[in-house]
Amino acid sequence: MIQYAAILLMMIGLYGLLTNRNVIKIIVSLNVLEIGLNIFIISIGFVYDGIAPILTSTNNSSALIFVDPLPQALVLTAIVIGVGTTALGLAIVKSIYSKYKTLEIDEVEEQ
Amino acid sequence: MSAILLIAIPLLAAFLSILSKKVAPILLLLVGAANIILLMFMPSEVINIGGFALPFGINLFLDSYARIALYLVNGLFFIVTLLNVVEYKKLSSILLVALAALNGLLLTGDLFNLFVFLEIAGIAAYLITTTNKKPLSTFNYLVIGTVGSSLYLFGLIILYGMFGTLNMMDMIHEIQTAGVAYGSLILPFFLMFIGLGIEAKLLPFNAWVKGILKHSNTLSGPMIASVYAAAISLMFGRLIHNLFAFEGKLLTVVLILLVAGVILGEAMAFQSKKAREILLFSSISQACITVLLFVNGIIVWAVYLVIANALSKLVLYLVINRATKETKSDDVDDLQGLFANNILIGIAFTVAALSVMGLPLFVGFVVKLNYLTQLAVAGQLAIVGLILVASLVEGIYFVKLLIKLWYSKDKELNIKFDLPYKAVFAVITFLILLFGIYASPLDSLDNDIDSIQDQIGVIYHG
Repeated sequence: MIQYAAILLMMIGLYGLLTNRNVIKIIVSLNVLEIGLNIFIISIGFVYDGIAPILTSTNNSSALIFVDPLPQALVLTAIVIGVGTTALGLAIVKSIYSKYKTLEIDEVEEQ
Repeated sequence: MSAILLIAIPLLAAFLSILSKKVAPILLLLVGAANIILLMFMPSEVINIGGFALPFGINLFLDSYARIALYLVNGLFFIVTLLNVVEYKKLSSILLVALAALNGLLLTGDLFNLFVFLEIAGIAAYLITTTNKKPLSTFNYLVIGTVGSSLYLFGLIILYGMFGTLNMMDMIHEIQTAGVAYGSLILPFFLMFIGLGIEAKLLPFNAWVKGILKHSNTLSGPMIASVYAAAISLMFGRLIHNLFAFEGKLLTVVLILLVAGVILGEAMAFQSKKAREILLFSSISQACITVLLFVNGIIVWAVYLVIANALSKLVLYLVINRATKETKSDDVDDLQGLFANNILIGIAFTVAALSVMGLPLFVGFVVKLNYLTQLAVAGQLAIVGLILVASLVEGIYFVKLLIKLWYSKDKELNIKFDLPYKAVFAVITFLILLFGIYASPLDSLDNDIDSIQDQIGVIYHG
């Protein structure tokens, strides 16, 4: 079920990217798409009744069911990269605004 | 000596370069040259980082395919930085990060690690294109590039859900042995193909290219159209040949997309009146032909095509971007008579253009003849016919461009090219002519240069 929600979020992000003409809204849409993707990645590691993949004094048997830790590690990397891209995107947006005094793509293209 | 140094040294140098802006350009050149020299002493091997055996750790894979790719990318990178280091010294740290990421792309055997390097290379490319002073084009590139990487990651995670591995060799082995129907692989493969197709400039996923290369300069033009294009094409080729192995309906869709890309790229170049647009649309068409060859399993000639194109496009973009910087316009009419006072530059440009067209005596001809022959042997006669038609169109617009640049009725441009430019053009022109006339070294390269399948055999079957 959560995977459907993740794909829905990705679709909303993609729709936003295709329909918005404001650079800030485009960055927000990009982030919605990335969040959807990150939730999808996390959902791949889900195991029903699984516990956190950490060995403790009470959870130290290989017979226990753990959730898959790898997608969690992947999603951390993906989040860091996403934040970096967003920061760079916002810096470019600032540059667009400094040069054209607008955030609307249509108005920039007219100039 | 481990191939990991090719990634680690540029990354370390990138950090160090932040500490001293004066030392940064020197560090950039030193690291660029050192990478090429170090590569000569690196043995072909699989490197398991951290000592974790396959498929658990991240591994790097240096075989003859990766070696050719690394020589090409590091060599071109060094030339481009050498020619631009004075003017764009502020970008030294970013260029070092780009070098590390491009080497990582070509070496890594882990598909998620590939995504990370793709994103790092992408971020460096976005920053390099800020030198075009067209922030909206850079913004479009960033958005489209990020969507492409996300699609690649989406496809990869679906594959991980199916096979439980991210290692390229392990994934290929699982796909070959698990008995999964190809139909269930179509979605992840197609998502990954689109994601990488965006980076590789394939139509219709290449909306960013026009904005970036149309306004490119002597750094961003050759870097994106030559260095990045070569690295992405060769990495993409390895995935297409070994992992995707397209078949059935997916193969048909991919072939239609690629052939349409070849035709439309040439058609758009034909109708363009701007020199940089002509080159960028020609690049799109050539990128589609390269991927077409990889899809058909013609690996060796696809690699040679990438090399020939990378060298030729380096000359073409450097000449046009240098001239455009002076004339402030890339209209072919405004560049009329460019070579009247620059005969040596004109010869280099003409040789590079004729090689891209595939005329005899130039390396492009040897490559084109061989890949067309192999396509015909593989029964792809329709594709051969369409490539020949596209070549004819390409020939017409390149000849028209050359005539305009050589002859002028009323004016002669006087643009000065520095000695390093002339030296680079002389070497590349010599190589294009040498391998065009003396082609036997090209024929002798082993047809099995891509040895991932052999490595899988050794690891899993002893």
